[in-house]
Amino acid sequence: MGHSPAMNWIAERRQRTRFERLVLPHLDAAYSLARWLTRNDADAADVVQEAYLRAFRYFESYREGDAKSWLLRIVRRTCYTWLERNRPAELVALDTVDDVDDASAAAPGPAGDAEALLMSRSDLRRLDRLIETLPTPLREAIVLRELHELDYRQIAEVTGVPVGTVMSRLHRARAALRRAWEGKEAADGVR
Amino acid sequence: MECDESRRHLDAYLDGELGEPERADLRRHLDGCAECGPEAAALERLRDGIRRAAPVYRATPALRSQIRSALRREAGGASAPARGPGWLAFAASLLIAVAVGSGGTWFIAGARQQDAIAGEVIDSHLRSLLANHLTDVASSDKHTVKPWFAGRTELSPPGVDLAAQGFPLVGGRLDLIAGKPVPALVYRAGKHIINVFVLPAAPGDHAETVTRRGYTLRHWAKGDLGYWAVSDAAPDEFAKFEDIFRAAAGG
Repeated sequence: MGHSPAMNWIAERRQRTRFERLVLPHLDAAYSLARWLTRNDADAADVVQEAYLRAFRYFESYREGDAKSWLLRIVRRTCYTWLERNRPAELVALDTVDDVDDASAAAPGPAGDAEALLMSRSDLRRLDRLIETLPTPLREAIVLRELHELDYRQIAEVTGVPVGTVMSRLHRARAALRRAWEGKEAADGVR
Repeated sequence: MECDESRRHLDAYLDGELGEPERADLRRHLDGCAECGPEAAALERLRDGIRRAAPVYRATPALRSQIRSALRREAGGASAPARGPGWLAFAASLLIAVAVGSGGTWFIAGARQQDAIAGEVIDSHLRSLLANHLTDVASSDKHTVKPWFAGRTELSPPGVDLAAQGFPLVGGRLDLIAGKPVPALVYRAGKHIINVFVLPAAPGDHAETVTRRGYTLRHWAKGDLGYWAVSDAAPDEFAKFEDIFRAAAGG
């Protein structure tokens, strides 16, 4: 640290002001994503606070452009680290979720697990509860698209997968939600 | 448009990711088709349902101020990594901007045309990712791909397989850019797809790398051909691809 204290102070000030201007406005988006991934208020708050500190430490790696996607990527990563540590069971399905292509996803079998899970939970009628039961990779895709209104490219950046994978995850999330939701509605209509 | 194709494009259509003319084609199909129309309506109902049902989660004021003070501690702390001549980087970026800017003025006329092509190339790239229409001729054999284009287009792309260097050739496809059929070579970079479109070189064509709508486009010209490569692969990987492709294609 060969700089004078005054120089350091000015540089730090500038960096923090810039961070607060660019990154802090996305706090609600960050919290919402963390809340959907952890499914719990207190955990989401912890994760977001940690994610902001990480973001601040990595801030030099942020160049320009889409600060929101940049931040959400860190929030997501922090969530996954947190889940691995605290609820590893929820991430078990992660490795297998993309091992199916679209053709086999339409057929019953291991790929239909998400659908089967949703179908079997007949007590779940509300769509938000259905979203919560989706496997994490499908859930984050649908949340980022429908609630954060990110486009495919941004979702790919946040989740660290190719655009083609984003497309197939969204498609499968919707197919699973529709089957469960419309099935439930039909059942309600009969009674 | 057939139902099969319509179904494949439906998500992208509703997500606003479809370029013209697919958008208009699909809309026409949905208006007339008794199967696909209701399918699209059901997907829209689902979207409305999700947006209505899902709670809006917001950070509490307490969390907001907690984060602010944590940042202040972090910035003032001994471990603050933020120190360093941020303004130097800023000054350097200004210099670069000036350099790029003055070089750029020479190419304004060509730039406008390149701009329009760039838009079409990205639309075509996205279109090709929508399942099953990646290739018209699926082959990693350049002796199959190259002849396939003959007779279908006047442009003859260099067929090179770069599998040994980590970019296997997936196949070739005929695409429409600026109203003309042009060859597209399809490569794979890990899980990412790279489309290389081959157009006639235009006067004032200059090499450039641009990011548009989040996709990276690398453009260069060689002889009478202009190349447009587009992908969402990582920038380093993509730059490496261009180098290897150019070396293999003789420039």
